[in-house]
Formats: sequence, C-alpha cells, structure tokens
Amino acid sequence: MDEAELLERIATLVKQDIAPAVEADYPRTQAFMTAVVLHKLARQLSVREVHRAADASDVARLAAELAPAAQAVPEAVANAMAALTMPPAAAALSALVATLYAARDELGDERFAAILGRVRQTLRAQIDRRLEYAA
Amino acid sequence: MTDARSLEARILDYLTSKLAQGHAHTLVDVQRIAVGWSHETWLFDLVWQESGVTQRRGFCLRRDPGNALLRHLSSLGEQFRVLKALEQTALPTPAAYWYESDPAILDAPFLIMEKVAGSCPNPWGRDGRAFYAAAAARGRLPASFTTTLATLHTLDWRAAGLDFLGVPTLGTDFARREIAKWRALIEVSEHPPEPILIDLIGYLEANAPPVTRVTLVHGAYRTGNLLIDDDRISAVLDWELQCLGDPLYDVAYVLSDLNREGTPLLSNLVPRDEFMRDYEAATGIVIDVDVCRYYDALYAMRSVAFWMSASGLYASGRSQDIRLARTAWSVPVVLERAARQLGY
Repeated sequence: MDEAELLERIATLVKQDIAPAVEADYPRTQAFMTAVVLHKLARQLSVREVHRAADASDVARLAAELAPAAQAVPEAVANAMAALTMPPAAAALSALVATLYAARDELGDERFAAILGRVRQTLRAQIDRRLEYAA
Repeated sequence: MTDARSLEARILDYLTSKLAQGHAHTLVDVQRIAVGWSHETWLFDLVWQESGVTQRRGFCLRRDPGNALLRHLSSLGEQFRVLKALEQTALPTPAAYWYESDPAILDAPFLIMEKVAGSCPNPWGRDGRAFYAAAAARGRLPASFTTTLATLHTLDWRAAGLDFLGVPTLGTDFARREIAKWRALIEVSEHPPEPILIDLIGYLEANAPPVTRVTLVHGAYRTGNLLIDDDRISAVLDWELQCLGDPLYDVAYVLSDLNREGTPLLSNLVPRDEFMRDYEAATGIVIDVDVCRYYDALYAMRSVAFWMSASGLYASGRSQDIRLARTAWSVPVVLERAARQLGY
C-alpha cells in the first residue's frame, strides 16, 4: 500500500466511523475536518511526482522561450529570467513577476504585457494542477 | 495566576461587581456559539431579584484566546471603542458595556456587550439558505439590508469619534493602506512565495482607484454578520475588519459572488438591481462597477492573507484547531480565482 492510499483509507475511517460517534460539537467538527485534511493530503501525495515533473518542464520551457528576450530588457529582469532554472521555482517565478512590475516603465507597456502574459501561461498551468487536489 | 473556578462562576462574579443592584444573581442559558475563527463568543442571561421582582438581562461576551485568526489586526479593545462610538449613531449595533484587558479576570482579555434580539442564520448552510430565500420573497429584509449599509456609509464618523481608526487621505491612500495591511499579514505567516499573489499585488498597486469620499467601512458586510429580528437588521456584528475608507469597498463585498451560493441574490438575499438602485438613492453615492471589480481583486488578496495566516497558525503550533490546517488548501483556490480576475 502506498502512502496516499493509506491516508485515504484512514480519512474514510475517520469520516464514516469515528467522527459520527463523537458526541460533543467541537471534537466532532475536529474529527470531520481531520478526515478532510487527510483526504486532501492523500490526493496531493498521489499526484506529487507527476506535478513536480510537469512544473519543472513548464518552467524550463518558459526560461527557454524568454531567453532570447533577455538581451533587450533591463538587467534586473534579465537576471530574474536567468534565475528561473534555479530552484525553488515558486521563488524564482515570484521574483521574476515582482521584477517585471518594478521595471514596467523601462520595459514599456507592450513588452511588459508580452513577458508577463507568457509567465502567466505557466502560472495558469501550475494553479490548474494544484486545484486537482485543493478544490 | 489562573483562577481555577469555572468560567461561568467568574463571569457571574464580574457581572455582580458591575451591577450593584439586587441579589441572588445567577447566570442562565449560557451557551458558547460555535461560529467564527477569531474570538470566543458566549451568550447568557443574568437573572437577579430586586425589590421582590425577578429581573433578567441578556449579555454577549467575547474573549480573546490569544492565538486566533487576525490576531495581529483585530483587538477586542478596538472593537469596544468602535461599538461605544457607534452607540451615538443611527446604526443598529449592540451596546458595549465593559472591556477588560487584564487576563487575571477571565484568563484573557474580554468585552461584554448587549445581547440583541434576533438570529444570525448561516448563509452557507441549507437552513440558512432557506431562511434568506423566504425573507427575500417577503421583501422587507432585503430593504433593511440595503438601508442599514446606507446608514453605515452616511453616519458622521468624525462626530462619532471614529477617526482613531486612521483617516486615509483622498486619492489612492485607502487602497494602498489595505494592500499594506494584508501584505504585512502575509509576511508574518511565513508562507512560501506565491507568484500569482505577487502578480495580484503588482496589479493592485498599479491600479489603486482614487477615493473622493471617506466613510466608515465595515469590511465584511454580508448576511451571516448581521443579526436579524422580525425581517429587519437588528444589529450589525463582527466589528473586526472596519476602517475608514471608500464605501465602495463594502459595496464590492456585497456585489461579490463570494458571498452568495446557488442564487443570483446578493448575500443570498437582495436582487442586484434593487440593491444598486436603493443604495445609490439612499446615499447619493454612485456605484462604479470598475472600482468594485478592483476591490473584488483586493478581497482576493485579503482572502489569501487570511488563509496563509490561518494555516501558518496551525503549522507553527500556535493553534491546535485543525480547521486552520485545512485552510492551507484554500490558498490555491483563492489564487486561482485571482488569476481569473487578472484575466488568465
């Protein structure tokens, strides 16, 4: 049995057998919520490796597509683009987005929107994957 | 030193010391309301004998457990000051009686206020949705909902002494203050970086709307935070997020689809067109839907801040309430909504 399956079974046990048997309001609510947390953890664990690979692939593609633009952007933006391949990806992506906003005047609206738009494609794909277990 | 007697006994002692009249005081119908994630809330009646007659008076006690959500932003002391200030206005609020910051009395700071008649159905539950649907059909409560918000936005906050909440200057100061407030909460949560949140904050900072009027803002005006009695709002509750600022911040909250479920009615109660028409007529404030859309995005930032803070409280061991652990998965849900609001 893998970890995700084990957690899922425990979640079902807590939800169906343990929580309903608790009389007092507060501990019963805690028991039901424990089942919810275990279920979400199980789902997150079950897709973790697939998501990790997809996230890494998306960020690598983003870095590659942005690389040609690095010559024509402010140095801070170019550095943030170059740092995309350095983990953790969330920190690198956050830094790039923050740098884009900070350099917006220098970039001009059109280039700002083009680069941010491309970054947003990657962010959209990542958040869609997270919703598979979070929603 | 902790007083080992029951909380109930100590509340009774405290009330007896404050209300000198009569004798044979007892507390009856004591109940802890199991709602809310911030302060503990208790309801009870004090019964006593006076001149041969039995007297009865209802109270609501809120106690600060010290590890609650919004702990950094919401103090019972400020709630007490706000409620005291609002007593002089036409806005229906509970009368605030006492605030004690000394933890020696009830183990934690607390305030005691009036128990106002009415109920507060949960708009997310089946019974609550049915309650609001029936009230919407009768029509009186929707009108009271809008009128009460208009009262809140037209009261003289300077005369009431509410300027201690902080007065933003006209222009973009209000939105920038809100962004700074929620950014601070996000920072103390020590949550890993979220690029969509950075994008959202960048958008909000770049597009802050200018404010041309400053009013009292409730910050969470919706069904569930309003006490209802006989199809009218008997008290506006939950004074934890109030500030001075743009009234459209509250209007945006009313208009938001965050606050309704399975119905087009705002707050599960009011037809949108009716709300906009009646609110504008009562206040003279024109509802700018683009500004409301901006504030809706600001609410997404606020929600992310709430959930990061809540899950951080659990992660750090400061709270054992597993409902807070659950909110870790609310963060991506709100971020996805924010991404849609930003157009992706």
